[in-house]
Amino acid sequence: MRLLYLVKKEFIEIFRQREILPFIFVSPIIQIVLFGYVVTTDIKNVPVEIVNYSNSATAERIIRRINSSPLFNVKKISASEADPKLVLKKGKLSAVILFRDSDSGNLTSSMPEVQVLMDGVDSNTSSLAAGYVAGIIRRYFLEELKNMGIKMPVENRTLIRFNPELKSINYMGPGIVALLLTILSLFLTSLSIVREKVQQTMDTLLVSRLSPVEIYIGKAMPMMLIGIFNMIVGTAVVVLWFGIPVRGNMIYMLITAIIFLCALLSYALFISTVASTEQQALFFSWFSMVTFIMLAGLFTPVENIPAAVRFFSDIDPVRYLIKIIREIFIKGNGITYFYKDLIILAGIATVVLSVSLFNFRRLVRK
Amino acid sequence: MKRLRAVIIKEFNHILRDPTSLTIVFILPVVMMIIYGYGINFDLKKVDAGIIDFNNGEHSRNLIKAFGNNKYFKLHDLKAGSAFPVQKGEKLLRKGELKEVIIIPKDFSRSVVDGTGAKVSIIIDGSDSNVANLIYQYNERILAEFMSGINRYAGLANISTKIYFNPQLKSSFFFIPGLVAVLLLMISAMLTSISIARERESGSLNLIFISPLKSSEIIIGKTLPYTAVAFLVGLVILVFAKFWFGIPIRGSVLTLALFSVIYVITGLSIGVMISTIAPSQKTAMFATLLITMLPSILLSGFIFPLTSLGPVLRFISGLIPATYFLRIIRGVVLRGAGINVFVTESAVLLGFSLILLLSASFYFQKLRKRPK
Repeated sequence: MRLLYLVKKEFIEIFRQREILPFIFVSPIIQIVLFGYVVTTDIKNVPVEIVNYSNSATAERIIRRINSSPLFNVKKISASEADPKLVLKKGKLSAVILFRDSDSGNLTSSMPEVQVLMDGVDSNTSSLAAGYVAGIIRRYFLEELKNMGIKMPVENRTLIRFNPELKSINYMGPGIVALLLTILSLFLTSLSIVREKVQQTMDTLLVSRLSPVEIYIGKAMPMMLIGIFNMIVGTAVVVLWFGIPVRGNMIYMLITAIIFLCALLSYALFISTVASTEQQALFFSWFSMVTFIMLAGLFTPVENIPAAVRFFSDIDPVRYLIKIIREIFIKGNGITYFYKDLIILAGIATVVLSVSLFNFRRLVRK
Repeated sequence: MKRLRAVIIKEFNHILRDPTSLTIVFILPVVMMIIYGYGINFDLKKVDAGIIDFNNGEHSRNLIKAFGNNKYFKLHDLKAGSAFPVQKGEKLLRKGELKEVIIIPKDFSRSVVDGTGAKVSIIIDGSDSNVANLIYQYNERILAEFMSGINRYAGLANISTKIYFNPQLKSSFFFIPGLVAVLLLMISAMLTSISIARERESGSLNLIFISPLKSSEIIIGKTLPYTAVAFLVGLVILVFAKFWFGIPIRGSVLTLALFSVIYVITGLSIGVMISTIAPSQKTAMFATLLITMLPSILLSGFIFPLTSLGPVLRFISGLIPATYFLRIIRGVVLRGAGINVFVTESAVLLGFSLILLLSASFYFQKLRKRPK
């Protein structure tokens, strides 16, 4: 009952801060929409130059295909090349594609030789783009051979599961919801105790009849509710705006979010207990936020993280949240597929909560 | 000039009087560089692929060898110890333990010999579209090589690829210089962002208001000393990038230093601008983090290719200083580009600094005449 009053007081305090309200109600929507457009690994409009030494109709036709592909933005088609290394050095082009007549024409006499000269600096885009060029050319030849009645010895029949159109947003969208949950809860909560300290109202709370545990819960509870509210809004935006399919059971997502928030909010309250000024609290939570996100496998696969910092990734609660949310969204997996991750997340939550609560009680006793 | 010198000396004293903050300014970017430098990595490790060979003939074994003998795949035989290998494969795919399953049908070898077209079925986990795309391309490449061993037509598409500047396609070459750009902007903006806000909080701003100094002198005097500090920070992280992460510096170091100074001044100007407006150090710091970090990470081409963005976001990315310095640092460090390539970029950065410093001076002057 006493706890309820404290929760009520916290809510009043949050809603009294007019400048924070937009962060709770408006910024989630803006963030999700903005991130949704930015955070994409799809490649489009890769700037290339084509140099065509070949007189063949084949080269002409392949060039037309590259030109009309949305993957490439053909800046220039010329019949003679400058030193490709010098051209690429300027950084305005990602590749120079050369067509030459080859000496060993075996099927028809007009078989051009293709050379792709890539700028390897953006390794991911380069390797994808090189593959796309090869793909366009290979497909052209396959069609030609088919028209001539020649069959390839092996046919590649690929089936893509879970995300057949290979849309990046389907993978990133659920991750962004996790991101939102992390950013907001961390910042808001990390200020909650330190603010009472700075305003010197902490003592008032402490001399009340509330036990330290009750104060702790009273601080965490409103943030938990706001977090869940934000997750629901975020999910709705991601699903309705970007049309991401949800294949799994949302109840699991709720359970995961609650366990995750136990861990994250305890961590934020820890920061808030330790920090002596709001400035410090903000700085620590910002630093933690970026670290959590970078090591969570949001942008790049977790397996790529080398052993040196692997440990930090293994105890990063955001990583498990992202993994589980993605499995629920994309694969529609049930709990049997991710119960291990859930147990680890619960383990992290228990440890962080105990340390944070212990630390809080110590502070209270002083 | 004499007055300006006085402000600069005063500001230097401020910096040197607080060695703790100065240490943090140097250590923080290095720590962040280690964590983030390792955290962001697109290099694909060996992909776990399940293989189900229903044929077990000469050609199917050769195909498996082709898939196994490269740096792309780690093969797992799903037929071993399982009566329903396809179901098992689907399940492991769902669990995320396998990224693809390759199924070779019973009549594979015969169809290859007959020339009736053998069909290899491949199931790829498409969740991470980027990874799935790469896997698909690896498959295509391996199949094409395999076919050219059988059939002279298959080798038709004679494509050779040559990769400049980063032949091993290490993603650290891409990310580490980018990280330098992001961190340098953040640190330099941070340095100045609290400088005026601090004077405001401690009340010493009023003393400056009534001094004979011109507003522009105060603003410049607050910016210049930090240029030296920020430049040194930049030097430290560059040395770190070279020796810890093994990023080669191919261009001229002098060119890089020149561009860094220009960039650092832009960062410092952002900080000064924020500091003039912000009511408290807390707000100044938070605004600086928000303004410098998020857009620099998301919209500068640091991780996500700018060419994929829509026109509105592309316009916004043009307003972010990191966008220009990213181009410069990648160009100079990795491609060994010379000073003449980046005339536009440095002009834009200088333009940003000029506009910011001018508006900061104007705003400061306004405050001076009519304090809030």
